Amino acid sequence: MLDILHEYGLMFLVGTWPVGPLGGFANTLVLAGLGLGLGLSFPLAMLLALARTGSIRWLKMLATVWVYTFRGIPLVMVVFWAYFLLPVMIDTTVPAFATALAAIVVYESAFLAEIVRAGLDGLPKGQMEAARSIGLSYAQAMKSVILPQALLNIIPSLVSQFVSTIKATSIVYIIGVQEITFSAQQINSIEMTRALSVFLVLAAFYFVACLELSQFARWLEARIRARQLRPA
Amino acid sequence: MDFQLSFLLSADVLPLLFKGMATTVRLFACAWVLGMLVALLLVGLRAVPWRWLDWLVAVFVEYHRNVPTVVQIMVWYFGMPEILPRDIKLWINRGDTEFLFAMIALALNASAFFAEDIRSGMRTVPHTQLEAARSIGLSAFGALWHVILPQALRISVPPLINRALILFKDTSLAMAIGVVEMTYQTKAIENLTFRSMEVFVAATLFYLVASLVLMALGAWFNQRFPPAHKG
Amino acid sequence: MAKRGISILSAGKLLGLLLAGSTLSSLAHAEALDDIKARGTLICGTQNASAPYAFQDPASRTFVGYDVDMCKALAKSLGVKLEHRPLSTEARIPELKMGRVDLVAGSMAYLPERAEQVDFSLQYLQGAIKVMVKKDSGIKTLADLAGRKVCASKGSSSAAIAARVLPKAQVLTFQDVASCYLGLQSDKVEGFTAGELALKCFEIDSQGKGNPVMMVPEPTYVEHMGIVTNKNNPKLIAAINEAILQMDKSGELSATFEKWLGEQSIYKLKRTFKVEPVDKAS
Repeated sequence: MLDILHEYGLMFLVGTWPVGPLGGFANTLVLAGLGLGLGLSFPLAMLLALARTGSIRWLKMLATVWVYTFRGIPLVMVVFWAYFLLPVMIDTTVPAFATALAAIVVYESAFLAEIVRAGLDGLPKGQMEAARSIGLSYAQAMKSVILPQALLNIIPSLVSQFVSTIKATSIVYIIGVQEITFSAQQINSIEMTRALSVFLVLAAFYFVACLELSQFARWLEARIRARQLRPA
Repeated sequence: MDFQLSFLLSADVLPLLFKGMATTVRLFACAWVLGMLVALLLVGLRAVPWRWLDWLVAVFVEYHRNVPTVVQIMVWYFGMPEILPRDIKLWINRGDTEFLFAMIALALNASAFFAEDIRSGMRTVPHTQLEAARSIGLSAFGALWHVILPQALRISVPPLINRALILFKDTSLAMAIGVVEMTYQTKAIENLTFRSMEVFVAATLFYLVASLVLMALGAWFNQRFPPAHKG
Repeated sequence: MAKRGISILSAGKLLGLLLAGSTLSSLAHAEALDDIKARGTLICGTQNASAPYAFQDPASRTFVGYDVDMCKALAKSLGVKLEHRPLSTEARIPELKMGRVDLVAGSMAYLPERAEQVDFSLQYLQGAIKVMVKKDSGIKTLADLAGRKVCASKGSSSAAIAARVLPKAQVLTFQDVASCYLGLQSDKVEGFTAGELALKCFEIDSQGKGNPVMMVPEPTYVEHMGIVTNKNNPKLIAAINEAILQMDKSGELSATFEKWLGEQSIYKLKRTFKVEPVDKAS
């Protein structure tokens, strides 16, 4: 295993960079990071969940169709159709990386939205009623009463989904975006006889990344709980 | 481009697709049931106040969450028969081991996620419920089984449906150890005929329709058994 | 902006056919060779992780290989610049059919069903499927394998071929080539069938270890590989064929073969194929 890392370490870490586009583990982290945080999939999921639990009919419909469709199609097919149909439909070329990222955001937002919705539904109705009755607007009640409780409750499911997202990034190779699984495929094709070691190295990379995320979530949760318990 | 969906209906192709679909559905159904049973067991174990047991369950969950699913399948397929005695190994290898090991690996993988989702749901059940249940004389397990779990499960339905959908689509990973399921079949047909667009349309539609059925079941369940305080 | 007009038209068509499942006559209807000349660039697709055809060189971390060199030679012969596109297995045919690559040099074997969808150039490479045995097994020909256990990797074409070509042998299918190799070494099977290049890797791996293995010289099947274009591009196919013939004559084709598959490579293969039509090649 160590000799594989020694020989192909750079390929695992950064792919073809700096000669070609960034790949390897670095690009896996970039895809997952952008996809989850900055890439809008979580904020988008919150909006979808609010639309699904809210009372505006057309928004509710739209969010429902979104959530049902994108959860139903395998990510690899979302990426595939986005790559082949989208440019034809909007008549412009979209870089493969942007296509992959957009597909991940859209796909994950649908799953995250359902988790957030479960959190919102899980709270007793009285919470919202009480918040409104003391004069808070819907937005204020959501922001300071409902969401903080709901989000805290669903942390385990959120973390599971985030971890799934990191692993799901591996399929973007089909449209030529390079990341760590693609690096492993390259090495496998050169080192026909050492497939098992290559796989174990690959698994170790994912394990470390995902475990770090789980640990961070646990730490964050403990911190929030400690703060809540502190007398005001 | 010569695009003909009718190609999918030809006598050479349709039976292959149906066979693939049947295997996918069978693999999913078996893995879901086994996975849910293991998940309930895990939730029960976590309620037992032994620290080492809690730690053991945590390790189980972390392994299955953080290691790529396809690697978990390979560990079962290649690793498990190796540690068994020779005779049992030979006996196992005669059967449909690909399906069996893929099913076990997928079920255990899903169980870790199911357990976390149920745990999320349990956290929304007010703590006073447990106290009340204990005060009327239920055992810790009885309180969990009769009072907490039924409520928690209802609340957890949306994330559990999410996870069932992911499990359904993850069945395609069994391809890696030679299970001839839907994705395997589509790729084989594509490779032979080069009718890529047609077969990928078929795969997309199959997964979408089957997923919609699952989601509809979930929505029905949610309506039939709504979270207690909503009713 | 004629191109823009075409793609709007095709967007409508594509959506229409997705909904109605009707037949679309031709997306890339202009002769591809004219497009290439007008553009001044050949967009040449290859596989993306398939040593020694097209793969990332770990040292330079750029794409290299037999097919990449074919792309370079074709661009040179057409007198245009090269844009190389490594493609995944899933995307190679859609990329071609959508007209995003002009041709694919993907070491793709000719099959009649495939030829209904794409056109093949003259044969520019051959691939053999062979059987590997232990050196001390006394097996010298395919006929010697009668009554013996032969392993093939699951779902591979090697398995189907083995069952047909070696009717007297008992064909077992294992997970993958590595497990087959394990099976051969631990005497669970006596033969192991796969593509020649994969077998070569294992043969090299076995050198200097206790159990050297060798390949039965006779192949069970020979694949004829051609460069692939969209249908109805006679000028492009003619230009590709001309380039391959020229490479063959000048010795460039043999030199490229030597570099990636022959004496200069780990495989040490001898070039035996001729440049001839893929459907009639021997």
